[in-house]
Amino acid sequence: MSSPVLTIEDLRVSVEDKEIVKGLSLQIKGGEIHAVMGPNGTGKSTLASALMGHPAYSVTSGRVTLDGEDVLTMSVDERARAGLFLAMQYPAEVSGVSNANFLRTALNARRGEGNELPVIKFHRLLQQKMKDLNIDPSFAERYLNEGFSGGEKKRNEILQMSLLEPKIAILDEIDSGLDIDALKLVADAVNQLRSPQTGFLIITHYQRLLQYIVPDYVHVMMQGRIVKSGDKTLAEYLEANGYDTLKRELGIVDETVGAEA
Amino acid sequence: MSIETSAHSPLVADLARRFQEPPWLVQRRERAFVLYASMPSPKLEETDLRNRPWVVESIPSATTGGAGAAAQALLEGAKAAGGAYVYVRDGVTIETSLPRTLAEQGVVLLDLHTAIDQHPERVRRYLYSVVPAEESKWAALNAALWHGGIFVHVPSGVRVNSPIHFIYEETMAGKGGLPRSLVVVEDRASLSFAEAYLCHGERQEGVVHSAVTELVVGADANVTAACLSRYGKGPTNFFTRRAKLADNASVDWVIGDVSDGFTVGLVESRLEGPGSKSTTRGFGLGYGRQRLDFTASMDHFGHHSASDITLLGVLRGRANSTYRSSTHIERGADEASSEQHDRMLMLGSRARADAIPMLLIDENDVQRCGHAASVGRIDENQVYYLMARGIPRAEAERMIIWGYLQPLVDVLPVEPWRNEVASWIDGELN
Repeated sequence: MSSPVLTIEDLRVSVEDKEIVKGLSLQIKGGEIHAVMGPNGTGKSTLASALMGHPAYSVTSGRVTLDGEDVLTMSVDERARAGLFLAMQYPAEVSGVSNANFLRTALNARRGEGNELPVIKFHRLLQQKMKDLNIDPSFAERYLNEGFSGGEKKRNEILQMSLLEPKIAILDEIDSGLDIDALKLVADAVNQLRSPQTGFLIITHYQRLLQYIVPDYVHVMMQGRIVKSGDKTLAEYLEANGYDTLKRELGIVDETVGAEA
Repeated sequence: MSIETSAHSPLVADLARRFQEPPWLVQRRERAFVLYASMPSPKLEETDLRNRPWVVESIPSATTGGAGAAAQALLEGAKAAGGAYVYVRDGVTIETSLPRTLAEQGVVLLDLHTAIDQHPERVRRYLYSVVPAEESKWAALNAALWHGGIFVHVPSGVRVNSPIHFIYEETMAGKGGLPRSLVVVEDRASLSFAEAYLCHGERQEGVVHSAVTELVVGADANVTAACLSRYGKGPTNFFTRRAKLADNASVDWVIGDVSDGFTVGLVESRLEGPGSKSTTRGFGLGYGRQRLDFTASMDHFGHHSASDITLLGVLRGRANSTYRSSTHIERGADEASSEQHDRMLMLGSRARADAIPMLLIDENDVQRCGHAASVGRIDENQVYYLMARGIPRAEAERMIIWGYLQPLVDVLPVEPWRNEVASWIDGELN
């Protein structure tokens, strides 16, 4: 299996006719961990949702390819089956659909017709993955995200990621609402999946998560584009000095999208 | 057109002759026929029946052909689940089966004509006592001309552990169909029964299908009544199902409808006894040009009586459904409580659904009375979430719809019936 490559070229994204992402380029290869940091309202989550194909986000220009295939012409489910995964900040709740049923349907969709995992094997795999993430076995039969705490929802996102073994995993503020123990579990799961077969794009406010998942690259987003890139020391620098120092250095007064005039 | 205003309907005379009916019944039929003929085809709140035809023709005495696929499946399910069943096709009783263990306990399961012969006093006492001819034109029509009915009697203290099945099937030859089920469950007894109205093949335009179920439930008795319908295009379909509950009795209705017919239906519990309680869980999937006007009603008379209604309608194509949940707390039903939950899900832009909650409270001292109703489309955020995990849209939508339906389908007491309904729903969702 060759190492995947996600290439984003000069991407522009609008929500309700307002441009949020304003020409962003980034390449993520298998085995790499990219962290995108930045204050609120700078377009980080918009980038994540647009890559996954959320219908409320329209890409107005630019190109996104996964292993040379045009991602932007794919429907949401096609993107997922091609190997893109987004751990969402606000996962939907679906009553009446059990977690196990959902996960099996998703896994078999990813594996493709004729290659479905037998039920018993699936349940064994699920039990193991749940154990790794310290998730209670009753979780499998509960309805998808219904009545889950914030932390349970996040762990469920990570469970899905580790089952689906994506080529490119995007984690959108996976650390929000997690206590330190849950944060470590999530980090362990990411580190376990770390291989030349998977690339990561980790979106976060804080450097905290990056103590456990050490990134190869750190990018800072402001005003809808990447304003600075570096290695893990950039995250440490931001943690020590805050975003204000960087803003002064770059001559940015207000970092939020739409305030650049 | 119908045989109008004849006080001596040849159809009643024909039935009386055919089944050698006693005078009291012939008189009841005659009176009901007069009522039927004199009552107008009404305009209901949401459904205009004024231009619906009422073609009432000679009643067939025989039926041809074998059971359709759905009837076959339900029959097999009935045989697997204890073997107590009656199968009626086009108003003709094809098969009646009651396991010996139940017969030995005094349980009676007969077609209604035979029951009138064998248990005349008992039938006379209860027939028409829960659904009288006076209440509607279609109840009057059934009261006058019912044929191919079912009678169940469960003696005091007898608990029937596996469900009894009523399977009514109708083809073109049935010319509408007027089935009537009379179920009497004495004090401290318990019963679960499953009743299905099926149609097989094309049906005649203009005819009327009017089904009636009367359920008499004694003190401290418990009944689960699961009722399925699968109506097709052609006739006007009516069903009237009502239970009368004595002290501390309970009735749980499970109503499932997968149809594209024109249907007006009522399911009601009369909570007469103190401490009586009833639930109705109903689900429907309408498709094609289906029109459904469905009312789930709870009428509280008894002190401390309790009721709960949960209705779910899923509409696709050009289906148009009205789901009404109605609770009436009569004066004297102090400390009564009731809940209503209605949810309508529309698939596509041409389907239409109305959820109408109704609360009529004539008593000052009510424990709780709540209702919640919603009408909407599938949540696009849910669809997006499932698609983001690689599940194609059609399958994601199906999973979400099943998420609503499954808990209601799961309360049907017979597994093969659950599977059959699931296959109907899957068939219409694909």
